[in-house]
Amino acid sequence: MSDMTEAKNWNWKIAGQAGEGVMVASKMVAKLAKRHGLSAFNYLEYPSLIKGGHQTGQVCFSKEPIFSQIRSLDILIAFGQASFTEHAEEITEKTLVIYNSNAGELNEDLVKQCKGKIINLPLNEFARKTAKTKLATNMVAFGITVAAFGFDQQAALSMVEEEFSSKGEEIVKKNHLAFTAGFEAFLEQESPISSFSVDSKDNQVLMTGNEAVGLGAVAGGLQYYSAYPMTPASAAMHFLADQQKNYPLVVKHVEDEIAAINQALGASYAGVRSMTGTAGGGFALMVEGLSLSGVTELPVVILYGQRPGPATGLPTWTSQADLQFVLRAGHGEFQRIVLSPGTIEEHYLFTKQAFDLAEKYQVPVFIISDKYALESHQTFTKPEETAEVGKLSFVEEKDLKSDNSFRRYSLTNTKDGVSLRSVPGQEHGLYISNSYEHDAFGYATEDATLTIKQTDKRASKYNGILEEIPKPILLGKKDADVTFICWGSTVNVLKDVVSQTDKANVIHLPCVWPFPVKEFTELAKKAKSLVMVEGNATGQAEQLIRQETGITMNDNLRRYDGRPFYAEDIIDWLEQ
Amino acid sequence: MSNITLQSIQSPIASTWCPGCGNFGIIGAMKQAFVQLGIPEEDLVIIYGVGCSGNMADFNRVYGFHSLHGRAIPNAIGVKLANHKLKVIVIAGEGDTYGEGLNHLLAAARGNHDITVLVHNNQTYSLTTGQSSPTTMKGTNTKSTPDGLVEEPLNPLTMAISAHAGFVARGYAGNMAQLINLVKEAIQHDGFSLLDVLQPCPTFNKINTYQWFQQRVYDLDKKNYQPSDKKLAWETAQEEEKIPTGVFYKDISKVSYHKHLSQLDKKTLLEQRSGEVSLKKPLKAFV
Repeated sequence: MSDMTEAKNWNWKIAGQAGEGVMVASKMVAKLAKRHGLSAFNYLEYPSLIKGGHQTGQVCFSKEPIFSQIRSLDILIAFGQASFTEHAEEITEKTLVIYNSNAGELNEDLVKQCKGKIINLPLNEFARKTAKTKLATNMVAFGITVAAFGFDQQAALSMVEEEFSSKGEEIVKKNHLAFTAGFEAFLEQESPISSFSVDSKDNQVLMTGNEAVGLGAVAGGLQYYSAYPMTPASAAMHFLADQQKNYPLVVKHVEDEIAAINQALGASYAGVRSMTGTAGGGFALMVEGLSLSGVTELPVVILYGQRPGPATGLPTWTSQADLQFVLRAGHGEFQRIVLSPGTIEEHYLFTKQAFDLAEKYQVPVFIISDKYALESHQTFTKPEETAEVGKLSFVEEKDLKSDNSFRRYSLTNTKDGVSLRSVPGQEHGLYISNSYEHDAFGYATEDATLTIKQTDKRASKYNGILEEIPKPILLGKKDADVTFICWGSTVNVLKDVVSQTDKANVIHLPCVWPFPVKEFTELAKKAKSLVMVEGNATGQAEQLIRQETGITMNDNLRRYDGRPFYAEDIIDWLEQ
Repeated sequence: MSNITLQSIQSPIASTWCPGCGNFGIIGAMKQAFVQLGIPEEDLVIIYGVGCSGNMADFNRVYGFHSLHGRAIPNAIGVKLANHKLKVIVIAGEGDTYGEGLNHLLAAARGNHDITVLVHNNQTYSLTTGQSSPTTMKGTNTKSTPDGLVEEPLNPLTMAISAHAGFVARGYAGNMAQLINLVKEAIQHDGFSLLDVLQPCPTFNKINTYQWFQQRVYDLDKKNYQPSDKKLAWETAQEEEKIPTGVFYKDISKVSYHKHLSQLDKKTLLEQRSGEVSLKKPLKAFV
């Protein structure tokens, strides 16, 4: 056993139908690993339906920091036969496959082809006997998992209690029994493959990208969130809706995405920090509102969760194919900021920062992410419990003169193109927030000179913004044969690549617009060979880099099948 | 703090409406209503749609938001929920409200958001020089329907009543005295209010003229009408031979959207804006 605990990481998967509690069990395994002082990543795959289908939860955990999923499994818990066909290539000689024998006897061919060791256990029967319901099968599986990895049993039981306590003592008790049945059944047949103790100094948190965005928004002073449900951004709304009990925050599920961005702009006009969130199809409806934010200079933060298109596409899978859409969306020319967080921690930090940037520069700020990051769990160091919220670019009462001379869109009294704004309720601050081109008071104008001046004023925000955005980061050794370039969530996989090989390093772009030309060029010109890694078919960031810097790539890795990159594949590519 | 006066609300910009436009009657009635209600000038927000009516944005000196075509209502809801102490009024045309942005009107009525939606209904698209609108009469020849409009006109009043609006009224730009009172009553109503205002467009609508309206409109107040009776309101709103004006339906028992939100019980969102946020509570779920 001791030599096995020397392993660098552990990889577990649970596979079943939608409605079988796969996601709950998966999250619990990741969180339990965290409480044992381990770094964890939980990746979910599921189809766009409510019952049936094939879905999986996959937790990879390690004593070293880990950021992405791994293909070859240590343990696979299969609720049905589909798992054998769907995940055959993930099963190796070292894999323990726990098969739910209540799903029917395994096809002989499948057994023969399976490289791992199969253990038949009647998971549904355990659940029915203990909890009186098949629904507790996932807790039987959790019990098996805890026994197999040698996790602390008491810590696991506490976690079951936390999960079900809101449903009453009786439900907790039943799930405890189901857990114990699985725990004991495994140990009757097998020995644990590892052993871990609870880490009393655990100072990590485990959350999804959506939760990190939600928490970052709260930390950034969010007070108004209006949105329409759309995978993969819906869970951000769910998280925030739940936070209404803790904060002076209104979350409005509105009639459509057009209303979502326009309500957010209304709230912003009235002086509170506001946000909306959606995916590609929903954002397509928001585009006119984005342009409105640009010309009225009203701050708004937009969570953009990418999933494969065109149109409805693959609703529950991942993609990085909307970068050029986000960069170009909106008629007319105006400033925007596009933050592209990679790790879940960056999702927290950049969302918080997005609110300051939006308010200070009076521009729309995007958090562009994707299904992969928004719906995966990752561990990171617990954020500070107190967050400061600045009050930026508002005019002070004393500067609102009784002669009503306040100029909201002043062309002379500006810094980096930003003119201070008043809010309704402030005396002598009256102005029009205008979708038409306007003069300093906000009154519409078609004057040629004024049009140029106001356009230039808005454009001049660019320099200030460029100073403050997160800059490209070099990860891994300074000197490497290959330098991978990535933006957004792809850095998670590449972090796990550079921790395993010296052949490559990585330049991660945490902000893609305004493009950090100077910093990126400095890093890129030191590289021996540049290889772009991104989740789309046309090389959208590659095009952006060429457009902004003239730098071309030596090669590229593109993925556009809805699945994330795997570190193993990239390492294989390097070896070749 | 100073209340709106006829002088204070006058912007430096001169009107660009055609002579005889119904908008003159409407803006006049609005200003009178604001003055009579004694609203402090900083506590009023007007959100304008895009159209001839929305061009009023430049003629009023108020906290204004000249929005997009069809989107004034969601802007207004955002303003109201951020600072529910403000009086929030939407000025938009019927193409804006009953066409492009109809979904928002229905949602605002259903939610009973405490805003007043004043619709300039001239049965034509005028700023785009004369196409059919959602309330244009069937068969009308317009630039976009040279062989006559196929669609039936939409009835905004029955639609608002069926969407649970708590205040549904119709005014006429040619009756200032009545219109002032309707604007006042709509603003004072605690909850969502729709005030549809019939107005001639002397340039592009040669059918529904002042003369046409004068022969048809009548005031419900002169009929001992009971606006609390929803069934009666539904029937009255469907009269076509003569055109009733006044308050069709009013339900004072409805509770405004923001009053359902406990986080707005004592203070507005804006008043609760804080320089420091504690993450202690949400973080518990992630450890």
